[in-house]
Amino acid sequence: MVRAALAGRKVGREPVPLATLVPAASVVAASALAVLPIVSASGWWPNLGLLMLLGWRMLRADAWPAWWAAPLGLVNDLLTGAPVGMSMALWTALMLAMDIIDRRTQWRDYWIEWLVAALLLAFAAWVEARVAALNGAPPLLTSTVPAAAIEILLFPLAAYAAMRIDRWRLGR
Amino acid sequence: MAAPAGPRPGWSRRAQYGLFFAFLAAIAGIIVGLVLLALSVVSPKSYQAVRGAALDVMAPVTVAFSDVSATVSGLASGAGAYWDAADQNAALKAQNTRLRQQILTANAVIQENRQLKATLRLREELREAVAAGRIVGSSFQSPRRFAILSVGTSDGVTVGMPVRAAAGLVGRVIDAGANASRVLLVSDRANVVPARILRGGIPVISTGRGDGTVDIRPLEVGRNPFKRGDIIVTSGTGGLYPPLVPVARVIRLDDDGAIGIPLADPSEASFALVERPFEPAAGADLPAEAR
Repeated sequence: MVRAALAGRKVGREPVPLATLVPAASVVAASALAVLPIVSASGWWPNLGLLMLLGWRMLRADAWPAWWAAPLGLVNDLLTGAPVGMSMALWTALMLAMDIIDRRTQWRDYWIEWLVAALLLAFAAWVEARVAALNGAPPLLTSTVPAAAIEILLFPLAAYAAMRIDRWRLGR
Repeated sequence: MAAPAGPRPGWSRRAQYGLFFAFLAAIAGIIVGLVLLALSVVSPKSYQAVRGAALDVMAPVTVAFSDVSATVSGLASGAGAYWDAADQNAALKAQNTRLRQQILTANAVIQENRQLKATLRLREELREAVAAGRIVGSSFQSPRRFAILSVGTSDGVTVGMPVRAAAGLVGRVIDAGANASRVLLVSDRANVVPARILRGGIPVISTGRGDGTVDIRPLEVGRNPFKRGDIIVTSGTGGLYPPLVPVARVIRLDDDGAIGIPLADPSEASFALVERPFEPAAGADLPAEAR
């Protein structure tokens, strides 16, 4: 028999329809997880939209054009109640920083990706703390450092999710 | 792994132009984001309609999920009531008797209070709640402490109204959509509640610390007036929060103040009442409502 007939549905698949929009949709879905009825006293949960954004960008540079980070950031701001414009500017700046890092590095493995993501997430947490301070609510270090550490430690999960979604959407 | 295929345009002039304009659009996105952020910081009121609309979009989902999780956790806690039921029963009966005696004393004090106020010809208005809702969500990803309340402008809630639960003060409304609103909790860093210690009436200021506790400082310089277990109640100063609403309980002492934990736990599935500001005429220096 033809070997493809024995392999079932795993061979000869095409990319899903609207495959170019799937990465951005997954970032919006991660931001939309903010509607979960979690009442937290300390706010140490990670920024899920930002984690998916960095997970996708580390995986592929062509997940979306760099300027898509602005509307994705606007949606994140509206869904999480952050000051409107903070995620827009921050996420676009992170995309440009990733473009610069892409051009400067020839080869990177998982640890370097995690390290770069850790630096970018620490910068994002610092920006969030400064904007909160501008709005009259400077957070204590005992609030921001554990939250940033949890985000950094959860980055591999986001990278794995991005990788699996990428395999699914491309039909591989 | 090798660096992913970056945006290298190659020799195609169209691809080169496309990349150039994509970068221009990204820079424009950063500038637009910074302008919007500056507006957010400088004049928060300009975003109230947008934030209210976003709340209306997400709140129905949150309320639905919160109903489901309240039912499930109710089943779990209901099952726990059957464990060691006889001992629980005896302890609750003893507590009940003690509390009934305290209620009798409290009723007598309330009667005496009414007679004294009538003697002084003090007039007070009856206060009733504007709306009653549930805390269904919160800002769990952010250093700000917000909570989502399941009532909005269609129930009469407006920005700036104080919110209280049966156990104590919850916070004040900072964003209001048609069906849901956002509450700034007392444990947020930007929430300042003028209060007093119940034992002795010493005036204090309670500021949130951003991690679920509040920082309580006395207004007068001197010896640390706090003791562990002190109850802090609102004093009515400032005109926003009504007086004698419990705020927090002191858990440890600081160098010249104390750290307290708010008595109203927002994660409890109980009702939150939204009331009118206590004395709007005194509200000339009310804090910026959308913060």
